[in-house]
Amino acid sequence: MNRRSFLRGLAGAASASVLPLELFAGAAPEISSPGFKLVDVTRSAGIQFQHNSGAYGGKLLPETLGSGCAFLDYDRDGWQDILLVNGMDWPGHKRQTSTLQLYRNNRDGTFTDVTRKAGLDVEMYGMGVAVGDYNNDGFPDILITCVGQNRLFKNTGKGTFTDVTNSSGLGKRQAMSTSALWFDFDRDGRLDLFVCNYVKWSPEHDVFCSLDGKHKSYCTPEAYRGETCWLFHNRGDGTFEDVTATSGIFDSSSKSLGVAILDYDQDGWPDLLVANDTQPNKLYRNAHNGTFKDVAVEAGIAFSVDGKARAGMGVDAADFDNSGTAGVAITNFDNEMIGLYRALGNGTYEDIATQAGVGLPSKSTLGFGCMFLDANLDGMLDLLAANGHIDDTVRNIRGNIGYAQPPQLFLNTGKRTFRDVTSEVGDAFGQPKVGRGLAYGDFDRDGDLDILMTTNNGPAYLYRNDQLAGNRSIRFHLVGKQSNRDAIDATVRIYYEGTTQSRTVKSGSSYLSQSELPVTFGLGKRDEIERVVIQWPNGRTEEYKKLAAGRVYDCVESAGITPGAGF
Amino acid sequence: MELAPPALYPRSVLRPLASGRSPTPGLFLGLIITLAAVVAYSWYITVQISGLRELQNGLAGRNRKDSLQLLRIQNDLNSLALAMRDMLDNDEPYPLTAWSAQFERIRADLDDALKLEEQVAVAERTPEQREFLSNSIAQFWDAVDRTFALARDREQNDARTQIRVSLQARQAALSTAVARLLVQNNESEEQVALRIGRIYDRVQKQVYIFFTAILIAILLTSLYLIQSNRRLFAQLAALSEQRSELAQKLISTQESTLLHISRELHDEFGQILTAIGSMLSRARNHVPEDSPLRAELREVSEIAQSTLDKVRSLSQALHPVMLDEAGLESTIDWYIPTVERQTGIEISYVKSGTPFPVNGSVGVHIYRILQEALNNLARHSGSRQAWVRLRFMPESLELEVEDHGTGFVEGTARSGIGLVAMRERAELLGGIIEFLKPAEGGTLVRLRVPIEKTEPHVQ
Repeated sequence: MNRRSFLRGLAGAASASVLPLELFAGAAPEISSPGFKLVDVTRSAGIQFQHNSGAYGGKLLPETLGSGCAFLDYDRDGWQDILLVNGMDWPGHKRQTSTLQLYRNNRDGTFTDVTRKAGLDVEMYGMGVAVGDYNNDGFPDILITCVGQNRLFKNTGKGTFTDVTNSSGLGKRQAMSTSALWFDFDRDGRLDLFVCNYVKWSPEHDVFCSLDGKHKSYCTPEAYRGETCWLFHNRGDGTFEDVTATSGIFDSSSKSLGVAILDYDQDGWPDLLVANDTQPNKLYRNAHNGTFKDVAVEAGIAFSVDGKARAGMGVDAADFDNSGTAGVAITNFDNEMIGLYRALGNGTYEDIATQAGVGLPSKSTLGFGCMFLDANLDGMLDLLAANGHIDDTVRNIRGNIGYAQPPQLFLNTGKRTFRDVTSEVGDAFGQPKVGRGLAYGDFDRDGDLDILMTTNNGPAYLYRNDQLAGNRSIRFHLVGKQSNRDAIDATVRIYYEGTTQSRTVKSGSSYLSQSELPVTFGLGKRDEIERVVIQWPNGRTEEYKKLAAGRVYDCVESAGITPGAGF
Repeated sequence: MELAPPALYPRSVLRPLASGRSPTPGLFLGLIITLAAVVAYSWYITVQISGLRELQNGLAGRNRKDSLQLLRIQNDLNSLALAMRDMLDNDEPYPLTAWSAQFERIRADLDDALKLEEQVAVAERTPEQREFLSNSIAQFWDAVDRTFALARDREQNDARTQIRVSLQARQAALSTAVARLLVQNNESEEQVALRIGRIYDRVQKQVYIFFTAILIAILLTSLYLIQSNRRLFAQLAALSEQRSELAQKLISTQESTLLHISRELHDEFGQILTAIGSMLSRARNHVPEDSPLRAELREVSEIAQSTLDKVRSLSQALHPVMLDEAGLESTIDWYIPTVERQTGIEISYVKSGTPFPVNGSVGVHIYRILQEALNNLARHSGSRQAWVRLRFMPESLELEVEDHGTGFVEGTARSGIGLVAMRERAELLGGIIEFLKPAEGGTLVRLRVPIEKTEPHVQ
């Protein structure tokens, strides 16, 4: 027994005795409690959402997939609002009317359903959402991916939205779209649009699949042809040009569910990582000339370590090891584990899920939404995954795997390992759910990241993050001028005490969902940072020094930085 | 110091065996043969294992790797087929050139797989087969390039026709060729498996033979050892018998010699000295009272009488006549006080049981054993007290000599010979002699002679 483990044992003994625990607090910091709680405030916040998958017994493939959610500040009041995507009943099986729902933040911990007022009470078989100010008018616009025709809603700036799908050139495109994101791939200052498509499916061409030869069951994606993802270039006049074919994105074999933006080769140009279901993942490297090249195989991210194409669902990219280079997390089917990839710095990735303690706990879960966030504000990005199976009879076939599954929150220990703290952060949070979409945002402006989660054919959940350890944070809200106004793909790096943290402003990521655009850094107990360097999407950098913790900073490109009174 | 009696009292003195009869050379030869067999077998096994390794690495392993690469090629060809199907379906809003990136990706993977496949391809593949695959693929890509060139020239229909009539056919031919190679690999793997199986059979057979040979060698060595042991024990028994016989003859000869000398001394020299004494007495009577000669004659007469006493004493010591005349019991009765007087050791002498007559020749051995035991006691025990018990028991005569001194000390040749003699005498009597250690320390010598051996008529 070495000295450390002895002291740790002593601390354990002390906790069980009457001795004050503080005496030993310094001996075993790594086994302390997570330092925060996730409190279910769905009901008290006034969120009343029920996802409608349209399931009527026909076991149609899209029923298992939806839906997504987003944190967005649609009215630009500085408070994060909530958008929840909904499905609908299938033609011929109409029972109810279901629409997506927009909740306006009342700034007191509650929300008001403003869907109808905002003009979003439109029925569609919605799947995912991507929020971005494509016309640079300062108000976020919304793309809803659908089974059938995707919808683009332009924010009028008056609390309402206008459906501009057809006028923008996105109309007359039928597909089964899933995740999407806004990014400026050609750095012309305008947000372009990337849309994932799953498989070639329509109710008319639904395939009969069965587990017992008699009753219909949900098909696996192998039963259907793949469908290419789409890339739309923003012309700047409110219309988009389909550049899928000319950009090299076209791939008819892809069965894509998740997409994340990252700068894989550190060249300042946004690259894309697409998670494919039963097909190799794609890593599209930006060639700076409007084209992309898939380098996933060379980068070691296309397949699992044993060379198998896994069932990729959700994906996120972030600098989780504070190395300055983004790592990647991809949720997969049960028995396939989460893929947690560390960037090796030479253009390749290494799957460290097993060594990091994420692999084994995620082996019996089917993950969808996933995202890196600093849940306990200790300066290290943690990993959160929403889980839930696609087959409601899975328990009968595989006893140890349920249809509803608890989400998993892996706390980053700072030593390239993670600890599953799901059961320690709140009873309600750890309850099994058929989780799908996942997003974070500081809806109560207390400086930590709250969580929004959707479930398939079930309610949405809002979890308020309550910090218990007194950790502090600093937030940055970026506004682009020459760059796209949302500053999507901007990188913010903060420096203190020899440590560097970095965050990227991003659309997309996770699964069918989008998190808030401001970036949050956990600082532990620190009161300030030494400096912050902002690299704008067009490549320009700005640096600011000696910034106090505990507040949000508005950073306007080429115009300086303005501290808020708080968050 | 506590000593184990068997070590102190060797039962016999062994004569070294003749060197020609030693089993060592035979055993040494057996060992060499066994070691040689093990070395030879190890060499054989090593050769077989390296052969197996070569087969598995060189053929089976390579075959497997080759098959994996062929499957990868097959997978790429299937992806091409699917892509061409999608191109012909014409349900995408994109020109055919949209597929060029997809084709490039597959091409890169296919090239890589072909390169690897060529490195691990089994040696049995003919140059024609190798060339066919590479040429066919080169031709396929050439056709692909031409198709995409047509597509780029907005000749979509011509390009689709090209796909239908050329690319799909070439892809199918390639797929068939790869499938054939996979089948060949399977057959080759089966052959290798057969060869490996044969090697295992051969090795198994050799293992059985080796173990049988080893078993036979062990059996023969064991038999040889048993026979050698038997011979050794027989030799030892004969030697022991001879030695015992010799010792007993020596003892008998010694006793008869001593008896003869004792009698000669007693009878001849005793009578002579008695006659000399009588004659000197008579001669003195003839000499006048005041003659100086008379005094001298008396002096000579006294010398003669003294000599006679010493001769009688010596005769008694060599062989107590009393034993023949008065028997063992009386002799011991006389002897114990004599020893007490001579050595100053206080001896408690106890007799028990109903006395019975003891044959003279038997009595002398019992007497000698007693004599030797008391001698040893006086010389080595350091004890000033001793106990002698003579028990006339219904079945046997038992004599015990006990002291509580230092006990026997291993060592001197003299005492060793004396003990050997005691043991031999006991054996001569058909009795048992034991050398024990009493609880108080010292030594207890116990002789037990069966009653039938002591009877007067027994020689």
